[in-house]
Amino acid sequence: MWISTSRWLPGLYGLISIMGGLAAADTTPDFTSVRTKFVKDYSGTGPSEPAEEKYFHESSFHYHYDGRYAEQELPEEDTLPHLSQLIRTYLSTMADLGAETWIMHGTLLAWWWNQKIFPWDNDIDVQVSEPTIHFLDEYYNMTEHHFDIPGVEGGRTYLLEINPNYVFRSIEDTMNVIDARWIDTSSGLFIDITAVRPDDDRRKKGDTGALMCKDKHHFDENDIFPLRNSRFEDFPVKIPFEYVKLLEEEYGPKALTATDFQDHHFNEETLVWDPATLERKRSLRRRGAVDLPVRTTPLKYKMR
Amino acid sequence: MARYSNFDNPNNFNNLDYTSDSSEDGLHSFNDNNNNPRSYRLTRYTRPLISYVRNEWQTNPKYAILPTTNVDTSDWPRWVQVLGSIVTAPRFRRYVVVYLSILVSCWAGWKFLLLPRLEEHAAILRALDPQVKEEVGGWFGTNALPRFDDMVQLRTLEPSLLPGEVASEFDQHSGRRLIFIGDVHGCKDELERLLEETSFNPDTDHLIFTGDLINKGPDSVGVVDLARKYSASCVRGNHEDRVLSLRHNMVAANTMNDEFLDDANMHRGQYTRERQLARELSDEQADWLDTCPVVLNVGQIQDMGHVVVVHAGLVPGVELDKQDPYSVMNMLTVDLDTHVPRASRKGTKWTKFFNKHQSLLSDSLHETFENPESMLTTVIYGHDSQSSLSLKTYTKGIDTGCFKGGKLTALVVGDGGEQNLVQVRCNDHTKQ
Repeated sequence: MWISTSRWLPGLYGLISIMGGLAAADTTPDFTSVRTKFVKDYSGTGPSEPAEEKYFHESSFHYHYDGRYAEQELPEEDTLPHLSQLIRTYLSTMADLGAETWIMHGTLLAWWWNQKIFPWDNDIDVQVSEPTIHFLDEYYNMTEHHFDIPGVEGGRTYLLEINPNYVFRSIEDTMNVIDARWIDTSSGLFIDITAVRPDDDRRKKGDTGALMCKDKHHFDENDIFPLRNSRFEDFPVKIPFEYVKLLEEEYGPKALTATDFQDHHFNEETLVWDPATLERKRSLRRRGAVDLPVRTTPLKYKMR
Repeated sequence: MARYSNFDNPNNFNNLDYTSDSSEDGLHSFNDNNNNPRSYRLTRYTRPLISYVRNEWQTNPKYAILPTTNVDTSDWPRWVQVLGSIVTAPRFRRYVVVYLSILVSCWAGWKFLLLPRLEEHAAILRALDPQVKEEVGGWFGTNALPRFDDMVQLRTLEPSLLPGEVASEFDQHSGRRLIFIGDVHGCKDELERLLEETSFNPDTDHLIFTGDLINKGPDSVGVVDLARKYSASCVRGNHEDRVLSLRHNMVAANTMNDEFLDDANMHRGQYTRERQLARELSDEQADWLDTCPVVLNVGQIQDMGHVVVVHAGLVPGVELDKQDPYSVMNMLTVDLDTHVPRASRKGTKWTKFFNKHQSLLSDSLHETFENPESMLTTVIYGHDSQSSLSLKTYTKGIDTGCFKGGKLTALVVGDGGEQNLVQVRCNDHTKQ
């Protein structure tokens, strides 16, 4: 059986390459490939110098708002519901695309505690693999995604923006450590997306599973993969395989056990982080039915 | 010569066997001796030796300078001279060596054996003190335990499978038995031999595997089939966890039948062997392995209390349904401050911690209950082939490294909680 396959396969490849060559010759060149000053390099060697400019900027009023979409912070009681929908819409979009993504850092720690966002933390960290960031860049950079959200009139629109400097694969690019953003255009809140890449330097030294991010975090393939399926903010999410080990390495054992943190106390009965100070005792977290977002913008391309 | 005047019998004195050099002293005459050799032999030991002491060294200039002391100490104070003579004496040196080595070995025994144990004991006691919990801010296991798809946290063994409370004296094979088997790792031949050794009877005996049935060894699929054939119980080991997680992801990504696509995508964990095994497993076999819980609650067994089976270990003081699954499948040690379990060997073994916790619990229960043993937990586990067989009061480690040429171990528990250990030797599969 395989003999016959091996016979016709080279022929098929040849045919495809000829067809591809003809097609390329017939059409006008691709828009981006004739641009002379573009950070993305199609020569196949990749850029040799890190970018001189920062691509993503933080707003002047808060480091975790996008200044293009907001002029002030959200009121405290509105922040958490916005963040919940932000991560849900992101996870839902990636799942629909078949694009691999998982939570990391502070968000993974929040998942460990009660599978909910920390009420004091606006920062949501997710990671994607390198094929995923390439796919998102090719097909979905600067695309808007609208979702109907129960209780929110008109729903919300989210923007996926890729940092074009993602193709520079070195930690020397200290100004562009974040590879993409998922931005809530109604509030300016956003998710940081970083791509996890093979660490070529360490691999040359014999560390065959070495991975790195441009934010100088290093991992091993076996720490992250195979990803586990769990839930975060009542939504399906993927979790790195060795989550306890990763969390303990990054934050120390106490982060997994201390019930007092950032003016909040973890209530072992309700399994919720309650504000510690009296005047903030009102419950920030709405209990009850979960408002799941529903996508209205169709997705044209899928990763698989 | 006046020195020798106190001798009672100068004749006998002269009968001593002098060395040749004493004759050169020219102090004594030996004429009598030479004339009468026989009388010399007969009278030689007639008096105690002390009677022959002459203290000649005090007067004879020949001995004024001892060959061992080359330094002229005559100008030094007397106590220094005394000290010097003591130190230079051979017997003293011998004693110094002996006593020093005794001292050093005592110190080493204290420093490297006794002290660490005492310190560890104290540290464990401190780690289990509820007052310390407040100081360190909390212990492991307070979080809302995350759930994973396709993973069962806790199962309870069907109570009808438990052995009877009283041993039957009439017929050995009438009662039910539980056979706990350590990490098999696909060593099917050894498993079959072990079942023979235990004279396994499918009608009365129930098999319980401590996880890691699969991977590494020659016939993982065969071992799963054997376990399914006998409706065995099992727990999820770290190897099942890897292979099954990979398999679920491969099924979701539709790469089960496409080795090229899957293997080309290398930065998804380098598990060539595990991927291969994931493909070899049929859906039925994988589904069966998926039903193996992280924690198997066996129930009450006479003399063992509450028996629980896990692959690697448990954190004491945490409910079974709140034990973190990754830790249960991987732990070897614990961080004493926070009780956070670790997959590395650095730190206090979880078994020491667990046993201490249970014995403290036993002590406190004895004050209020008559029979507290039923309220204590015994953990049967595998995973730690490096420590090999480790049978303690409340923890029974039965992974004896079958895959690497060690043994395969079965802990057989019969009526009345009677425990027997059965082992078979294994071939070394590491070279294949």
